[in-house]
Amino acid sequence: MLRFVFFRLLHAIPLLIAVVFVILLMLQLIPGDPVQAMVGDFPVSPDFRAAITKQYHLDDPFLVRVYSYFVNLLHGDFGYSYQFQRPVLDLIVETAPRTIVLTLAGFLVAIPLGVAIGVISGTTRNKRVDRFWTSATLIAYAIPTFWFGQLLVLVLAVHFGWFPTQGMGPLVSRAHGLSWLLERAHYIALPALAFAAYEGPRFARIMRVSVTDTLGQGYIITARAKGLTRWAIIRGHVLRNSSLPLVTVVGYALGSALGGAVLLETVFTWPGLGLLLVQAVRVRDNMTVVGIVIFAALAIIVINLLVDLLYAALDPRIRNS
Amino acid sequence: MSAASVDGAPLLDVRNLVVHLRVGGAVVRAVDGVDFSVGEGESIGVVGESGSGKSTLVRAILQLLPNVELAASQGEVNFRGIDLANISGPALRRLRRDHGFSMIFQDPLGYLNPTKRVGAQVAEAIGEKNSTPVVDRVQRLFAEAGLPSPSQVVRRYPHELSGGMRQRVMIAMALASEPALLVADEPTTALDATVQLQVLETLRRLHRDRKMAMVIISHDLGVIAELCDRVYVMRAGKIVESGEILEVFESPKHAYTAQLVALSKRRNAAPASSDAIEHGAGQ
Amino acid sequence: MNGMATLEPPSADPGLLVRAWRYLRAAIGNLAHTRHGAVGCVILLLLAFVAVFAPSIAPYAPLQQAQASLAPPSLENFFGTDNLGRDIFSLVIYGTRTSLAIGLGAAFGALILGGTVGMLAGYFRGAVESILMRVAELFQTLPVIVVVLLTVALFGSSFWLLLAAVVLAIWPVEARLVYSQYIKLRGMDFVAAAKVADLSTAHIMLREILPSAIPPVIVQVALDASVAILIEAGLGFLGLSDPNMVSWGQILHVAQDYMTVAWWTSLFPGAAICLAVVGLNLFADGLSEIADPRLAGRMGGLQP
Repeated sequence: MLRFVFFRLLHAIPLLIAVVFVILLMLQLIPGDPVQAMVGDFPVSPDFRAAITKQYHLDDPFLVRVYSYFVNLLHGDFGYSYQFQRPVLDLIVETAPRTIVLTLAGFLVAIPLGVAIGVISGTTRNKRVDRFWTSATLIAYAIPTFWFGQLLVLVLAVHFGWFPTQGMGPLVSRAHGLSWLLERAHYIALPALAFAAYEGPRFARIMRVSVTDTLGQGYIITARAKGLTRWAIIRGHVLRNSSLPLVTVVGYALGSALGGAVLLETVFTWPGLGLLLVQAVRVRDNMTVVGIVIFAALAIIVINLLVDLLYAALDPRIRNS
Repeated sequence: MSAASVDGAPLLDVRNLVVHLRVGGAVVRAVDGVDFSVGEGESIGVVGESGSGKSTLVRAILQLLPNVELAASQGEVNFRGIDLANISGPALRRLRRDHGFSMIFQDPLGYLNPTKRVGAQVAEAIGEKNSTPVVDRVQRLFAEAGLPSPSQVVRRYPHELSGGMRQRVMIAMALASEPALLVADEPTTALDATVQLQVLETLRRLHRDRKMAMVIISHDLGVIAELCDRVYVMRAGKIVESGEILEVFESPKHAYTAQLVALSKRRNAAPASSDAIEHGAGQ
Repeated sequence: MNGMATLEPPSADPGLLVRAWRYLRAAIGNLAHTRHGAVGCVILLLLAFVAVFAPSIAPYAPLQQAQASLAPPSLENFFGTDNLGRDIFSLVIYGTRTSLAIGLGAAFGALILGGTVGMLAGYFRGAVESILMRVAELFQTLPVIVVVLLTVALFGSSFWLLLAAVVLAIWPVEARLVYSQYIKLRGMDFVAAAKVADLSTAHIMLREILPSAIPPVIVQVALDASVAILIEAGLGFLGLSDPNMVSWGQILHVAQDYMTVAWWTSLFPGAAICLAVVGLNLFADGLSEIADPRLAGRMGGLQP
């Protein structure tokens, strides 16, 4: 087990370095004025230009730039946004939690739904039921999530008026305690649903495969031989033993949540990291863009590492070797 | 002594059972017209080599076939007069849980849930949750199955036990429903030689003490000779010979049976090196 | 199964293209037997038709702003008009071209780049394999859209740049696939025979192994195309795609601001994206069912 941990770590660190290196290389390849490229659509005075050139080593060889960027990273300096006039890390710290909340809310819907559909289609003996859910999952997988988000808004918010069309909360909120929580839930409902539509099908698919594998195991026959009801077998043997692959998929999905967040947060004007990234791209605030992307890479690599470790801890085969 | 019990009707009566499986593109005639019966308290053996269909036979009888496509399936399977192929799910479950039939398998490691403690798995066979009477009963079953320190074994996971102990857990699990019939599919094949003898002894004791009928499947006539009164010889899906164990050993009527007898004698004559010749992997 | 053409790799000598064509014909024939494959094929053919004959089908020039703005669907404007008075039906028709172009373009780009990398890594093993696969892993770390956004931010959003960005993001998947295929196949007898016959490495890689490696690759190409279309639409929705090309996503970008008053700006272009992506996924599903029919016929479920 310890060997496994060690080698995984050994694997993750060079990956991170390589990712940063490639991104900085891309920065280097931008045609035109490097200072303007970093700063974006922001007018640059000569003094300012000199300061930036010095601070980011724009005149120095590429490798020096990379090195200094890494040193900065280690100090928690992800760059400075000239559009927003704040350090990038500040912006990230402010917006990332909102994206995490959205992701978790989405999981709250997607995981039970995915498990239920996966178990149903995996354990049913009725081929038609299985085919129905498999086709439904396939189609749900293929629907563009940002369009689905728009549809949700059109139907549930605009037409029926049951939910707000956008945002994280009302402009002015005087609610406290439980009513504050309910208000928040009201605003997060549609974005979470859309997010669930994004991740749910994948969970359902993995679950179905895992359930099918489990059903092929000997102990299921033992369970039948004992006279357990269908539901008892599912609850006592199928669910527990099929869940492990799902844990890894959910974990990885948490890491790459930014991908879905970028589009969904734009649809719902949810002020998270995804929306921030889009805004930065629109005004060519490349410092911020690069800072966010590197942060995302870091988060993904770390989360994937943790997920792999968790899997090793839970898998009876690895645990017991 | 033929297959009859006190009141005359056999416990288990199988007539003309046919089970053809569709595997890949081909049809495998695993069970091809088999007549089979077991009386109350009788001990029957089914012997044959790998692929003879003996495993499929008993699984089909107990309605425990896995997810395979059936190309053909017919015949009658009567347990105490009830047609097992045509009863409802709940009725079948009732027979499995209560004074009906149980089965133990060749590969206890694969047939026990690796993520659940063995005590909990046996408790499932008894029924209710972790009430004290259930815990007591599980421990008593463990003791009856020959497990040392039942109160500790109860909390173990399958991979923490030896092969022999795992098989005893399976036995305990099978006994939980107080079955009238216990079916054992190659119960000792996957075990070490010394452990084999011990488990066989346990099965013999249980047969005697509980007066329950047993069906023992094996590729080894020697094992069957230890435990059974009558034997069916199976080959390529058909029964080629059946009869009292001594008769079959002494004067086998079919050429194939004679081969098996000869093989068994040679096996039991040689020292422990002649271990399991055919581990019937999946029949 | 009756009526199905066999799909073994056609035997030895005819040229690669002939073999590919024969395979494709057999595959399409078999596809019709699978539910998903048939529907997927129909959808794709429909889209291809629309894309090719766009000028004849569309009632108006797409960028023409002659109509009333934000008009709901009517007989003159089947899908209504957008805020600039452009006919959405025509926009959707012309948008098919962009989407199919980027879908197929990016998919084939990824195939060529990823396929080459995978082929080299899978055949030569050793150091080549380690380096190439690590590089693939590198590019797979970040979500596709993040990579594309980064590229757009740094280099702009012309169509070709967009295409290159998508290729950059999705080639690793193709590489892994081809790599695993080559690993599997290089140990087989016909390769050993070819080596003994002293055939050149290039010949072995391309003419011996490649044809057998193809079936799952085509499935992946279809899936890649659907990802590419989604990404392009996504960028259009964010307002970041090529402004010179008509894009379904771009219409949705407009829709975002006018959702409360003009639902048609969202429904129809979105449905078009959905149709294209679903079509490709069904097609891919049908293909993979043919390639591995064992998966289709298995009896499933929990028995009593």
